[in-house]
Amino acid sequence: MTSRRFRHTWNARPAGVLALVLLMLTLAGCASTPRLAETTENRLPRQALLDDVPFHAQRDYQCGPASLAMVLNDGGVDVEVETLIPQVFLPGREGSVQPEMLATVRRHGHIPFVIEGRLDALLTEVAAGHPVVVMQNLSLPAWPMWHYAVAIGFDLDRNELVLHSGEEPRRVESFRRFDATWSRSDRWAFVALPPGELPVEVRPHRAMEAISDFERLQGAAGALPAWEILAKRLEDNGLAHFGLGNARHATGDATGAITAFEQAVDAQPDLAVAWLNLGLAKREQGDLAAATEALERAASLPGHWQPHARQALERLEER
Amino acid sequence: MMKKICRILSPLLIAALVLGSVSVAAAPIAPGSDLITTQAALNAEHGQADRERIHEILARDDVRDQLIEQGVDLAEVEARVAALSDAEAAQMADQLEQLPAGASVVGALFAVFVILLVTDILGLTNVFPFTR
Repeated sequence: MTSRRFRHTWNARPAGVLALVLLMLTLAGCASTPRLAETTENRLPRQALLDDVPFHAQRDYQCGPASLAMVLNDGGVDVEVETLIPQVFLPGREGSVQPEMLATVRRHGHIPFVIEGRLDALLTEVAAGHPVVVMQNLSLPAWPMWHYAVAIGFDLDRNELVLHSGEEPRRVESFRRFDATWSRSDRWAFVALPPGELPVEVRPHRAMEAISDFERLQGAAGALPAWEILAKRLEDNGLAHFGLGNARHATGDATGAITAFEQAVDAQPDLAVAWLNLGLAKREQGDLAAATEALERAASLPGHWQPHARQALERLEER
Repeated sequence: MMKKICRILSPLLIAALVLGSVSVAAAPIAPGSDLITTQAALNAEHGQADRERIHEILARDDVRDQLIEQGVDLAEVEARVAALSDAEAAQMADQLEQLPAGASVVGALFAVFVILLVTDILGLTNVFPFTR
């Protein structure tokens, strides 16, 4: 459509077509092949494919349960799609929602870690052998077509991602098309790992929330290996040691708990809550001098735990 | 007269109920020991107000009702609610209708078909398998 012809045959139809074409071009301009950070590019292998991840074809709308079955089976959990359907599928919505996808992983003894919404992070997990559940909107925001799939491989030379998706095992999608559809879910993705394994890139607060949520459902004994490895990984993070101390304490390991609380306050001397638990654990052991010392430290730190610490100190003095 | 009593009584009742739930929500103490739980420490770290905590704790009842309404098998409802974290339960209670539900079906009209076909060819969407 040249501009001259366009001027001569002015009417609504070509104008509409032109507008649509322009709209499409603008939209296309927005979607480009996502670029990886140079460090990621150098770190990752050129190709990766997690060949052992089993494929389960989805049946009517049930990409959620099917995706969960794939990652859980890969992690050694023996569970069938049929079992997962009543646990995660919402008949009224004819689909599965994100919070319940995570919750169902928890029910089956694995910890769901939502990873950072960047292609770098996704490929890094795949390269480390962790299949990644992704949420995509395969359609446009106005008429969404929400979809869960499992990323299992990539090829950096061809800019392609490999996914177990819908009814198609090992579907190859260009990074560009994948990122366009993934970005519409705010690039939501998670890995499901057994306690004792962590994602490659640990976001401290998120990881602690993930393990703590798991602990709430599966108990301290189940979560203990996760706290152990997290405290090792985040050596300088007082709260990670604190979580480990609590899990050890709840499983009857009083000495181990005290060691972990001591490491917590070593790493972060202003972590009042760790001083507080250190004091309380020492008191349980009958070491009143050490208990007083730790509780005094906790009571000296301003913040949320100060009243608790003062109260505990008073109770100690009453004895 | 009745109105007057109500006017005095209801704030008292509200206060009593709120205070009652605060003591439940704010008690960060694990059963069998008086150590501060990890969850409580994380919440405090996150600057989460007790009000939010109460909301999250009460949310589970809402989620239970909503799951039943959505047709979830009654035998599964309790276990599904239990598996949610507090934050997830609050999210479900507040916005279950708006949460995207992965299902891979377009609920759209034929007119949309053409647009999606074009966007598929442009590589913006991935609705039709034959466009790849």
